[in-house]
Amino acid sequence: MKACNTLVQPQKQDDALVATSLVMRYRNSAVPALNDFSLQVGKGEFFGLLGANGAGKTTAVSVFSGFLSPDSGSVSVMGMDFGRSVNTIRQILGLVPQDIALYDQLTAQENLLFFGRLYGFSGKKLQDRVDQCLDFARLTEQATRRVYTYSGGMKRRLNLATGLIHLPQILFLDEPTVGIDTQSRHLIHKQLKDLNQKGTTILYTTHYMEEAQELCSRIGIIDAGKIIEQGTPDGLLAQSGCRNLENLFLHLTGKQLRDT
Amino acid sequence: MFKIITAAGKELLLLKRDRAGLLVLFLMPALLVIVITLVQENVMELTGQKNTQLLLLDLDGGALGRSLRERLMTEHIEIVVWDKQFKKSIDVQTAVAGGEYQVGLIIPPGSSESIREITEQLFQKGNQQGKGQSRARLSMDVFYDPGIMPGLRSGLNAQLQMALEGIAMGDKIEILDKKLNNIIAHLGLPQDSLPVAGLSELIGQPLFVLEENNGDLGATESPPYNPVQQNVPAWALFGMFFTGIPLAGVILQERKSGIWIRLASLPISHLILFLGKVVTFVGVCLCQFLLVGLIGTFLFPYIGLPAFSVSLNPGAVFLIVLLSSLASCGFGIFLGMACSTYEQASTLGYTAVVASAALGGVMVPVYAMPQVMQQVAVLSPLNWGLTAFIDILVRGSSLSVIWDDLGRLALFFILTILLAWKLVRARR
Repeated sequence: MKACNTLVQPQKQDDALVATSLVMRYRNSAVPALNDFSLQVGKGEFFGLLGANGAGKTTAVSVFSGFLSPDSGSVSVMGMDFGRSVNTIRQILGLVPQDIALYDQLTAQENLLFFGRLYGFSGKKLQDRVDQCLDFARLTEQATRRVYTYSGGMKRRLNLATGLIHLPQILFLDEPTVGIDTQSRHLIHKQLKDLNQKGTTILYTTHYMEEAQELCSRIGIIDAGKIIEQGTPDGLLAQSGCRNLENLFLHLTGKQLRDT
Repeated sequence: MFKIITAAGKELLLLKRDRAGLLVLFLMPALLVIVITLVQENVMELTGQKNTQLLLLDLDGGALGRSLRERLMTEHIEIVVWDKQFKKSIDVQTAVAGGEYQVGLIIPPGSSESIREITEQLFQKGNQQGKGQSRARLSMDVFYDPGIMPGLRSGLNAQLQMALEGIAMGDKIEILDKKLNNIIAHLGLPQDSLPVAGLSELIGQPLFVLEENNGDLGATESPPYNPVQQNVPAWALFGMFFTGIPLAGVILQERKSGIWIRLASLPISHLILFLGKVVTFVGVCLCQFLLVGLIGTFLFPYIGLPAFSVSLNPGAVFLIVLLSSLASCGFGIFLGMACSTYEQASTLGYTAVVASAALGGVMVPVYAMPQVMQQVAVLSPLNWGLTAFIDILVRGSSLSVIWDDLGRLALFFILTILLAWKLVRARR
């Protein structure tokens, strides 16, 4: 396995996310989920975090979004840290969790209205945002159907749209295309590219290499809670001499199964 | 406030769509209060809180039986007289042993004559010579339902004994009156030299009067005790505390899905989200109490039970219901945060509520528990609520008497919510 220089540059004005030397250990776990994890994502970037199951991707996203507090290290989002500006960060941060984060017994419209109101939207502005999100997820026609009646792909699209209800400046997506059909995945990819082009910074975790290669301007490979390599997909391939990202990934992380 | 209303609205919508869950929440306390109150009607018979039925078989058919019936004819004893032509002693014994009547009494044939003779003998010349020897007595068979409480049995026994002694005393005075009049006539004294006229009435005149007095304890006039005034609030409370379990389920459902992470990424505190749930579930608890109260008020009279009444102090009753509901919601939220799975929460929740209800006096009155359990009972939130209800609805106390119980319920709510919030932060 190849070692990687994880030193992070001092924070710059155009940094959207800076994580420095994060260590995070779950109770009753022998190994840390994040181990001296450092990362810098610039504003407007589409950053892919690639890793095997249990590599620490979801833990990293949970720490970046303030859901978990690291044992040590620091996180700053748009130049602010959670200790001082937690509510400001949460107002500009969007999160799309790996599990479907929707109320099954509510309709798509009711889910969006609920989360929109909690972000402080009301009246026409709220209704406009709900309509835009439904359109984004291509669910306008099914807006009044309860979520439990949706297919997996519809739920994933709504899950993503709900994370965008408040027009976040930075968006964390934790494996948003797991278990969905090609059509839904294609739509999600297209919408995310559009969103990124309009200026939203995106941090995207996945273990689909082709997805990372298609979407991301830069990728980081995480293994055992640590970034072991990062750079542009083309740059990394050129540097390693690997034919594709999958080969590079296996080259860096090895072929041993990662059962945790 | 807007966000609390938003969270409450979402909970209401989810509850509205879970019709089966909602039905259970309302059906359970409604069924419990009807069944338990009907069952306790029988308990009341056994404890003497209802009219006691005395089965009388008068094989004598004379003055003794008539006199005894007159003396026992109070508002608490209903006398059923069996015809001696068709019934025997063994029938009385069987009926009482089977629980059809609480007490059975047989007046043997010739009793009126016998008691007359025995009384006459007492005033016979020279009867003092036999002092120390056993005198003639009239024996009567009395049977008690083996199921009645010892206190009721003692009370009935004393009442029967007093009635019979009263009859005997009347007979004695009557004979004494005659004897004294004979002596006065024999001595040639004027008739008014001794106050023997109306001696029987004079001696029978009671000199003591026991007056039930609640003193100046802030108690207003309360309705006579009936199980409805206790059962309606008790089982409504039981149902209200069960509401904590579905509330814990709602939280666990959020925690186990991605919703919890999404909620945690919102620019609002979990306290706001908790309060939203509290608003909705307090509403559910209030409706539960209303339903059970309406059943007690309007349905019970149709099934032969006394009607439930909150007319004494409706404001205080509302305050107790509100604070009990808050305590129940606090319990549910804490349960949802402390447990890892719904199975854990439901098992722990049901056990805690049933144990708390048993300790709190919902099933067995606290005063009937062993001393140690009575001391433990004060730890049960259901006990605080029930004590407050009984103070207001049964004892007719004023609001000032229940402040300490209301304070405990409020403190329990605040404590459980803070603990739950602490758990949210600790889990980060």
